[in-house]
Amino acid sequence: MQLLNNETRKQQQKLANYCRNGITIKIEKSIPENIPHYRRLVYNIITDTLETAYPITYNYLPDEQWNNLVHGFFSNHKCQTPQVWRMPLEFYEYVVANNIAEFYKIPFLNDLLYFEWIELEVHTMPDIDYPTIKQNASLLTDIIAINPEYKLIQLNYPVHLIAPVDKLEEKHGTYFLLAFRNKQNGNVQFMDLSILFAYIIENIANEITLSKIISNADALFQINDINTLQKHVLAFIEDLKQREFIIGFKL
Amino acid sequence: MLKHNIGIGFRKDFAEEFLNTQILKPSFIELAPENWIDMGGYWKKLLDQAAEKYPITCHGLSLSIGSPDELDVAFVKQVKKFLKQYNVKVYSEHLSYSKCDNAHLYDLLPIPFKADAVKHIVARIKQVQDILEMPLVLENVSYYTPIAAEMNEHEFITAIINESNCKMLLDVNNVYVNAFNHNYNPKEFIQKLPLHNISYIHMAGHEKVSDTLIIDTHGQAIIDPVYELFNFASSLIKPVPVLLERDFNIPEMEELQNELSKIDAIVSKKWEVENAIA
Ligand SMILES: [Fe+2]
Repeated sequence: MQLLNNETRKQQQKLANYCRNGITIKIEKSIPENIPHYRRLVYNIITDTLETAYPITYNYLPDEQWNNLVHGFFSNHKCQTPQVWRMPLEFYEYVVANNIAEFYKIPFLNDLLYFEWIELEVHTMPDIDYPTIKQNASLLTDIIAINPEYKLIQLNYPVHLIAPVDKLEEKHGTYFLLAFRNKQNGNVQFMDLSILFAYIIENIANEITLSKIISNADALFQINDINTLQKHVLAFIEDLKQREFIIGFKL
Repeated sequence: MLKHNIGIGFRKDFAEEFLNTQILKPSFIELAPENWIDMGGYWKKLLDQAAEKYPITCHGLSLSIGSPDELDVAFVKQVKKFLKQYNVKVYSEHLSYSKCDNAHLYDLLPIPFKADAVKHIVARIKQVQDILEMPLVLENVSYYTPIAAEMNEHEFITAIINESNCKMLLDVNNVYVNAFNHNYNPKEFIQKLPLHNISYIHMAGHEKVSDTLIIDTHGQAIIDPVYELFNFASSLIKPVPVLLERDFNIPEMEELQNELSKIDAIVSKKWEVENAIA
């Protein structure tokens, strides 16, 4: 049963729409000069939240472009999450869905936003239980245990290595980025990875033994020098241990 | 050491400092569940530490009880889970709307003071309470303009509280702000509220932006006239928990503790018996 009159609903919609798009409205029995405060207060929350989530993008885009983008987003997109700190993800998705990168002629825009979002996401995502581990086992033949709180992503531009102003648009390629959370202090660490090392991490996560991964990689990447490859991989594994991404061996 | 239940809003901006200080010692903390639900890592650690040290009350942001949209049942269930997880006994929200046409706005918009809106909200309060299996506490919010009003703010709030018999969170600062902005007597306003339903009080600072307008910012210290109004209100109300809201311009911890002590001193004169929050 609908208890709310259509007229009441309409007035509420009018105010909410105005807060979203800023197009002046007339509301019955109101104080017209105070209505803009609602737009200002709502919009401040949106801009503050987005500027905090995407500081690199915000600083890189000319003010006018950034403002148009935020305005377009908030007017056209209906924010779905009740948790305002998750709203920037919807902003990223909006930019991708609406081909803003093409429109603004910033080919790395999607990657830049994604990179900034991933930092936030890895920092805040729900805790994942660590596996039970042992410390002494064979690196090559036992199952290596990794920090479960990570994301491994693929990018088309090295937004994690080069500042946008340094001709980032000329660096199109395939890049891999590992982001993981330190269990003690919650800090997010990033690691740039070659395709080979990304492949290795993916397979370790799938509980394949390192010796199997190395022999598969040797064939897949047509290296044909398993000894050199193994040396190379073991140095990488040592680095991951130092960074506390590899935490031991599965029981 | 506070004698009464005087709490402070637990904010990320000063969470770490707060957990490490010996200076600021509230009786409990209040937080917005939306800011903490499903959050892991660093923030979850701080939240868990806080939960070990203090009882928690929750003050929501996105329930949007006055929304023309359908109630977001999945969201209410998420809140319920969180309240259970942290053993939260008080869940309050705002008598406003923050979602419309399926879009969240993340701020508090004023509901039209109309009889049909009262009926609509009363039904929704019941729905929320049925899901939560606990009372909902609703707060009088600051508003800067009425929207197509057919009754005054007082009649509107009173009708909702009386018809739903839900609990009320009296925000003393909001009464002061609204009385100033809309030219009414704040003491009369409080006196005529359903006082026995008031189960919680908020105190906060605000910002005067012009000769005719105050904005409720939670960014300043509480001003004397608001203490004075609180003093008046506390003489009418049974002992309830009181919460200091400070969201911006976070001052030194001493300053916040001084505000808690000032609130405590006022109620100590009025309320003999300590009230329990749990
Ligand atoms: Fe409040």
